[in-house]
Amino acid sequence: MLSEADRRAVADFLYMEARLADEARYAEWLALWTDDGVYWVPATGDPGADPERHLSHVYDNRARLDTRVKLLQTGVRHSQEPASLMRRLVSNIEVETAGNDELVAGSNFVLAELAVQAKHELHWWAGRATHRLRRVDGALRMSRKTVVLVNAAEPLPNLAFLI
Amino acid sequence: MIDYKTLVQDDRIHASLYTDPRVFADEMERIFHRGWVFVGHESEIPRPGDYVTRHLGTEPVIMVRGHDGAVSVLVNRCRHRGTLVCPADRGSVRTLTCPYHGWTYDLRGDLLGVPYPGGYAGFDKSANGLPRAARVDAYRGFVFASLCAEGISLAEHLGPATRLIDRSCDLSPVGEIELTAGWVRHRCAANWKMLPENDSDGYHLGFVHMALFRTIQSQYQRVVGDERTIKAVVRDWGHGHIEIDWSPGYEGPFEWLGGASGPAVADFAAAIERRDGPELARRRLREGPAHALIFPNLFLGETNIAIVQPVSVEECVHWHTPMFWTGVPEWNGRLLRMAEAGMGPASFLMPDDLIIAGRNQQGLHAQTAPWLLLGRGLNRETVDADGRTVSHVTDETTNRGFWRHFRAVMSET
Repeated sequence: MLSEADRRAVADFLYMEARLADEARYAEWLALWTDDGVYWVPATGDPGADPERHLSHVYDNRARLDTRVKLLQTGVRHSQEPASLMRRLVSNIEVETAGNDELVAGSNFVLAELAVQAKHELHWWAGRATHRLRRVDGALRMSRKTVVLVNAAEPLPNLAFLI
Repeated sequence: MIDYKTLVQDDRIHASLYTDPRVFADEMERIFHRGWVFVGHESEIPRPGDYVTRHLGTEPVIMVRGHDGAVSVLVNRCRHRGTLVCPADRGSVRTLTCPYHGWTYDLRGDLLGVPYPGGYAGFDKSANGLPRAARVDAYRGFVFASLCAEGISLAEHLGPATRLIDRSCDLSPVGEIELTAGWVRHRCAANWKMLPENDSDGYHLGFVHMALFRTIQSQYQRVVGDERTIKAVVRDWGHGHIEIDWSPGYEGPFEWLGGASGPAVADFAAAIERRDGPELARRRLREGPAHALIFPNLFLGETNIAIVQPVSVEECVHWHTPMFWTGVPEWNGRLLRMAEAGMGPASFLMPDDLIIAGRNQQGLHAQTAPWLLLGRGLNRETVDADGRTVSHVTDETTNRGFWRHFRAVMSET
């Protein structure tokens, strides 16, 4: 049975994770991951998508996730230099318990991204995220984040920020 | 009439080639309708009735396998009211039925019937099929089409550049590739020509991709640093087909994969060796797949296949999918991860290329100095025994090859 305190803690985590990503606070965002983290952004909204058979936008194990963040931290990742100006709304949170003392949280998001690297265009992103969370030394950490964009299978502009 | 012989010179090109909507309209007609254009790969439509939807320039088309196994390329537009007959990216059907009024075509595009035929007197079904690409031909499963009945054959268009396609396909132990992972499409706020030019530009790597070079070791490390120690070359194959050949800089097998070892690699190498013998196998595994543009829209992107889709004069889409080698599915996971690292909107390379392309597009609107320089390497390029022009990997031999063919095609009346 999920306690109200657990629900509150999950919501707080999701809001914090969104804010760190929005504000390009890369090291703090990366610290939210467990060592076995998997970050997946499928290239289709099909729930049967299999990242071992189908191409994804992102399918990072922890090593590649570290590389992704290090690129952003070089200061010469042109596609995020300067970093996009972003704010996302997180809503429709549904939390379930899972095995291994983990929690699974589904949430919807809408993200306004001002891509300031070339044309200063405002891009709208939306989708549903699924976070798999567990407590590490008393704090919630992500072991898996899956982001299914509503336009996952459409032509997309740069997605070099942290979605 | 735009005078392309003035706008495209041997060592410079005019900015309006990237910004003038009239140039774009001419390109659609002369390059993407008259010429041979890559549509898709036969492995994408293995069974009769399988189809994918694509574009020849801006013309929506359906690539479909017929009941006899032959591949047709049909214009995706009902003859009645112009509706897209196939609105989906892909599918499998017995017939092609327009959702608007139910006009039904067979898999070759012939009109089978229309509902309530009593409303038409003397209706000639045979004159109202879906328009077909006048010519469709394939090389090793790569399907090309032309909307024009006249012109050179695909074999003439490809010329010796078939060897580039061979180089990629022959890495498969059975000599066949499969494009079954799905495509990712990446929007680019720039003229389409910047993609083939950038895909074959060896000069930008250390600058546009500096973030990656600073972060991880990769096989591309050998082409940054001292100009004199770089061994990779660029090569102009004629007809606009252009190549970066990294392989002179590779010393051992699989450097193009960023190195590889383990039982799957050993089995793979053994299979190639059984087929080709030790010497040729060693060469193939050292050289790796091609990095080349087949004019105008097919990019052999090493372990990826990519398509350049023009949308409008200042917008295009870059498609990519990993090239799976038939018979060795244990490689697919690795090839998928390579594809995600290199190409697509969230990858480690392409977003930086496309943001620079967007900045190019903005800069080209400056009117004060309208010429772009194209002369790098004219002082040192050479012609090899096969008649191909070759030069240092940072030279603009590839751009010049692209533009020379562009000028020829665009100047035809």
